[in-house]
Amino acid sequence: MRWRLETMPAWARWMLYAAVGVLLLTIVQSISDTERLTQVSTSREMLRWAVPIFLAGLGGLFSERAGIVNIGLEGMLILGMWFGAWGSIEYGAWWGLLIGIAGGMIGGLLHAIATVTFQVDHIISGVAINILAPAITRYLSEEVWGSPTTSPQTAEVGKWDVPFLAGGTIFGWESPDWLLTVSQWEIWYVSDLAQLVRGLLRSTSWVSIIALLLVPFTVWLVWRTRFGLRLRICGEKPAAGESQGIDIIRYKYTAVIISGGLAGLGGAFISTELSGLFQGGNSAGRGFIGLAALIFGNWRPGGVLLGALLFGYVFGLDLKDLDGTASHAMLLVNAIMLTGVAAWAFSRRRVADTVLAVVLGVGALFWWIVADTVPSWWSNTLPYVIVLLVLVFFAQRLRMPAAIGQPYRKGEG
Amino acid sequence: MTAAIELTGITKRFPGVVANDDVNLTVERGEIHAICGENGAGKSTLMKILYGMQAADEGTMKVNGEIVDFDSPTDAIDCGIGMVHQHFMLADHLTVLENVILGAEPTRAGGRLDFHGAEAHLREVAEEYGLTVDVHQMIETLEVGERQRVEIIKVLYRGAEILILDEPTAVLVPQEVEALFENMRELKAAGTTILFIDHKLDEVLEIADSITVLRHGKTVATMKNTGVTAHELAELMVGSELPTPTTTVSTVTDEVALELRGVTVLNEDGRAAARDIDLVIHKGEIVGIAGVEGNGQGALVDAVVGTAHVSSGTIELLGNDITHDSVRQRREAGIAYVPEDRHHEGLLLSSPLWENAALGHQTQMPYGSSWWINREGARRQTEAIREKFDVRTPNIDVAAHALSGGNQQKLIIGRELTSNPDVLIAAHPTRGIDVGAQAAVWDDIRAARRQGLATLLISADLDELIGLSDTIIVILRGEFVATLSPDEVTPRDLGAYMTGVAFQEEAS
Repeated sequence: MRWRLETMPAWARWMLYAAVGVLLLTIVQSISDTERLTQVSTSREMLRWAVPIFLAGLGGLFSERAGIVNIGLEGMLILGMWFGAWGSIEYGAWWGLLIGIAGGMIGGLLHAIATVTFQVDHIISGVAINILAPAITRYLSEEVWGSPTTSPQTAEVGKWDVPFLAGGTIFGWESPDWLLTVSQWEIWYVSDLAQLVRGLLRSTSWVSIIALLLVPFTVWLVWRTRFGLRLRICGEKPAAGESQGIDIIRYKYTAVIISGGLAGLGGAFISTELSGLFQGGNSAGRGFIGLAALIFGNWRPGGVLLGALLFGYVFGLDLKDLDGTASHAMLLVNAIMLTGVAAWAFSRRRVADTVLAVVLGVGALFWWIVADTVPSWWSNTLPYVIVLLVLVFFAQRLRMPAAIGQPYRKGEG
Repeated sequence: MTAAIELTGITKRFPGVVANDDVNLTVERGEIHAICGENGAGKSTLMKILYGMQAADEGTMKVNGEIVDFDSPTDAIDCGIGMVHQHFMLADHLTVLENVILGAEPTRAGGRLDFHGAEAHLREVAEEYGLTVDVHQMIETLEVGERQRVEIIKVLYRGAEILILDEPTAVLVPQEVEALFENMRELKAAGTTILFIDHKLDEVLEIADSITVLRHGKTVATMKNTGVTAHELAELMVGSELPTPTTTVSTVTDEVALELRGVTVLNEDGRAAARDIDLVIHKGEIVGIAGVEGNGQGALVDAVVGTAHVSSGTIELLGNDITHDSVRQRREAGIAYVPEDRHHEGLLLSSPLWENAALGHQTQMPYGSSWWINREGARRQTEAIREKFDVRTPNIDVAAHALSGGNQQKLIIGRELTSNPDVLIAAHPTRGIDVGAQAAVWDDIRAARRQGLATLLISADLDELIGLSDTIIVILRGEFVATLSPDEVTPRDLGAYMTGVAFQEEAS
């Protein structure tokens, strides 16, 4: 029997993909004039960027699996940012997170009332929330803190170093930092890999750890429980659920409110863990990018995380890349990946896709050759470009919930 | 013995219509009871009331002798009533097991689904009633007949003793109908009461113990199935003789209108949806395509209409190669199209009738020129269509969704035939419309045939295919596998060809 990738357990497959990805980065790095692609700080920034994106995307998953398009994630994230900061200042770090979640849930509730009860178009309601949230938080900031744009310093829930791998302490005893040791050996690829992994494990926010644990939890909740099955029927064929006596409207409400809560947690993470204060505009569109991660991840938790990490990597790299050399090296990474896509499309005899991938790949390669640096707008744009490319090339493999965005009225099945 | 179901004086009004008017129905325990009637006779409404989906305005319902009052399907399910809807209530991307347990999920601690327990119970139920199905398949991979079995299992899984089947045979080919009837007999032997809606009278006479006929929302008659003939039932249903689709004299000429040579159409996965199709339709000829849905009819239609890319082969219209022409060029060259789904492809439901009548002809007089719409001309032409094709509507400014299905279809047929096409592609032209409108559509197609129209007819209604066509071609897995004469073939034979059974029989 021929060996197939699909026969591997999912975790092993993801590990393999990650290892191949790092190998690609290492190769590119060895022929470019940058070392940032595999630095500890790069993967740390990646995670810090990815967590709110992931939480927003996961929020989108709950909502869209129940059939409600949630473009209002950005607004719910902003509400979470403000309420998280306020709760953190008033009651302490952990309360801040909970209050941030509650803030996002208010946004979710609003979206649910509009879309489920009043049948408002999902996009219109979402956009309204995205417009409303910055305005409300600005007003509240003015009222509570006397400044429309910034808050005082917030409390933090704290960070954690993983023992042994990243030198964490156990009951006051400082364990060895093995990954640091490996990365100091400076072995090609091995040390690069160690650095990137260490960045994920050292001074990691508890919120990040909670976020990562949400992946298996969501898989369990949505695919293994009664609640999850009923939630999915709302997004696949609500009339079928209704005919079996399931209260579709209640499940839709629940899903959209959970969605808001997760986006709210992402927002609270931004204000309390990343910036240490509430600042208008700090969301930086991560709610929208979360939605992109949701599509990239094919409406599955593991895929959403992968998408969030990918976008987080590109954004995180840009943050420390003042001279533009790392983003420049990313052009070569893009060129190589597009070559892969071209080969894949060619093997499927998809002519148009192959041509497009080759043209874009050659373009990226050409740009890499003629330029030494790239402007910073490029790395900000890259995540969106990646989403567009994923949609162009893999749209047929994506499978969104069948009844997404459709209005549901009781008794019309 | 008390009856399983006893309905007295059920009345249900909708704005402008009385769907059920003083309906009485008694179903004995353990019998198969058929409800017959034309489209719009109130059968479905009655079943929805019985299943708790709609509330009756007047009347009483008794189940097993006790008066019941259902607020929702849950109440009906609790009373042991289960319903299999005409449009399946299944989610395509969930597994059979997930679909079956939905709403009655066995759980362990913490709301975790007990998939093993559920599967064991499902197998037990399926075995008891002799129904087989693979529980881990996704619904989207199943055939129509299998999906229906899943629906029946779903109902039995909940312990239903009274089964309502809403037009169960409408979507099935004859062989599948036979299998369904076999299942129904086994269910009856196991003590289940079955209430089923059907308007194919031979089927009703084959399987039912008792028959109730509805007409215009009223119960016309209830009888035992002994010595009743199809003719008598038909008269009860429509109040007069049923129309038939039979064409009379052959009008086939030698002149070739449409010719396909070696046409292959690929689907999204790059596999051939229609392979190496050779087809000739002469002027005045109706070629019927018979096949179980999803065997390449759609690809064939798309290839001719121009909505699918033809990967090899040529298409000629009156001797001109149109293989690479756009849809508009083809329509202007004389191809007319009655699409399979009038709501999706045929009409703009919220637009007025005159705009709908101009659809597809907006570049041609009198509807308009290449750039401008000629409102006057379009309206005049729409009035003409309304007149000639008997589209019943208060005026041509009402939105298309205000018309009944039959009148919508008459408008589409009128729109397509008024442009004097050379070739008509008619995909399921009478699907889901009542007997009167059906007869009108058949008349229109026959009239156009006399005037030299070449027609490609795709239909799931085998009587329609046999009655209208001059030639019948069977399509199976994207290939033409047999050419039959409608004079010599019966629906049963046709079903055997469509499912491939005929070829196995020939081989053995």
